[in-house]
Amino acid sequence: MSFPDWIEPVARYMFQEGLKGTLRIAVISVVASTVIGVVLGTLLTIRFWPTRTLIRFYIEVWRGLPIIVTLFMIFFLGPVIAGRFEFDPFTAATIGLTLWGSAQVAEATRGAVQSIPREQHEAASALGFGWVGRHVYVILPQALRRLIPPLVSLLVGIILNSTLAQVIGANELLESAERSVERLAAPPPSGSFEIHAIEIYGAVMVVFFLICFPLTRLAAYLERKLVA
Amino acid sequence: MILAVTYDLWSFVSENWEPLLRGLGRTLYVSGIAIVGAFVIGAVLGAARAHRVPVVSQFAAIYVELVRNTPILVQIFFLYFALPQPIGPWPGVRFDVFTVAWLSVMIWGGAFNTENFRAGFEAVPYRFREAGLALGFSKLATFLNVTLPIGGRIALPSSINTYIAVLKNTALLYVISYEELTTVALQVNALTLETAETFTVLAVVYLALVWSLSIAIRQLESRLALPEER
Repeated sequence: MSFPDWIEPVARYMFQEGLKGTLRIAVISVVASTVIGVVLGTLLTIRFWPTRTLIRFYIEVWRGLPIIVTLFMIFFLGPVIAGRFEFDPFTAATIGLTLWGSAQVAEATRGAVQSIPREQHEAASALGFGWVGRHVYVILPQALRRLIPPLVSLLVGIILNSTLAQVIGANELLESAERSVERLAAPPPSGSFEIHAIEIYGAVMVVFFLICFPLTRLAAYLERKLVA
Repeated sequence: MILAVTYDLWSFVSENWEPLLRGLGRTLYVSGIAIVGAFVIGAVLGAARAHRVPVVSQFAAIYVELVRNTPILVQIFFLYFALPQPIGPWPGVRFDVFTVAWLSVMIWGGAFNTENFRAGFEAVPYRFREAGLALGFSKLATFLNVTLPIGGRIALPSSINTYIAVLKNTALLYVISYEELTTVALQVNALTLETAETFTVLAVVYLALVWSLSIAIRQLESRLALPEER
C-alpha cells in the first residue's frame, strides 16, 4: 500500500514551515519565561511592599487573562499605543506567551525560594555573601532543583499554547495545517476539490501528542524523584 | 498622540454595552454548561480511575492523556472543521457552532477534572472506606457517603482552578465565530476602531471574573475544609 499523492507535499510543508514556526515560538518563549520568571520570583521574596505589589500585579494579570486575549492585545493595541510596538504575528505571540509563562515561573520560583530553609540564608550571610551573591550562589542553585518539574510542565504548556499564534496569523503547525486543508479543497490547479481535514488535523494532534506526552510523563517522574 | 486625545472609556461603554453584555452572557452560559458537564465527567471518570473499574478506567486514562497533551485549539478545529468530513465508514457529523462551543470546553475541562477527582478520591484513607463497608454500606453507598464527600473536598481547589481555566478557554471560541465576549469585543473594535477602550473593557471583565472566582475558592476552601483541618 502506498500513500496517496497529496500527502507528501502537505507533510513536507507542515514540517518545514509549520513545525519550525511552532518550535521557534516555543523555544524563545520558554527561555525568556524562565529568565524573567526566576528573576521576578526571587525579587518577590523580598519584603518590600512596592516591588511585591508590582510583581504580584504582573503575575495575577498575565495569569488571569486568557492567553488569546493577551495576544490580541499585543497585536492590535501595540500599534495604537506607538508605532514601534507594531509586531509581526510571530513576535506578538512570543511576547504574549512569555508574559504568561514568566508569570507561571515567577509564582513557582517564589515557592521554591521560600522552601529553602532559613539557615541556608544565614550560613551564606555568615560567609560574607551579599543579597545577590547569596541568592545566585547559594539559594537559587538549590531552588532550581525544585523548579525543574514545573519548568517541564511550562514547556508543555507553551508548546500547546503556541497554537494560539495561528489566530493572529503566524505560520505555525496549526496554521500550516489549515492552509493545507484549504489548498486541497480549492479547485485545480492549486487544489483538487478534496477534503482532507480529518487526516490533516488528526496528524496535527498526533504530532503534538508525540511531543507533549513524553514531556508530561517526564515532569511527573521528576516531580516524584526530585521533590519527594 | 491621537490616543491621548480620544481615549474616552465612558462614551465607549455607553455606546457599546449592549453587544458586550450579550457576549459576556454567552461566555457565562457556555462556561456554565461546560463546568456542570466537566464536574459530572470528572466525578464519574475520576471514581472509575481511583477504583480501577475495568475498561472504564483504561478508557478514561486514554481520554485524559489525549486531551491534556494536545492543544485545545486543535481540538476545537477538529470538532468543527474535521468531523463533518466523511471518511471510510465515518459518515461525517456536522455540529452547529453552539454545540462545538460548549462541547469542546466541556471535553477539555472533563479531562482535567478527571485527574483532579482521581487524586482527591485516592487521597481518602482506605480505612475510611473499610469503616463504611463494615457498617454494612454497599460499595456504591460507601462511595456516595464516604469517598465522594471527603475526596470531593480534597479535589475542590484544583477542580475550581479547572473551572476558571474552562471560563478562560471560552475566549478561544473566537476561531469558530461563536459570539462570546472576545468575539464580540473584536467585532466592536472593528466597527469603532476604539482599540484602547475595547481592550480596557475586555481585560477588566476577564480579570474581574477570574479574580473573583479565585477569591471565592479561598473562601469556599476554608468553609468546606475537613473538620480536622479547620
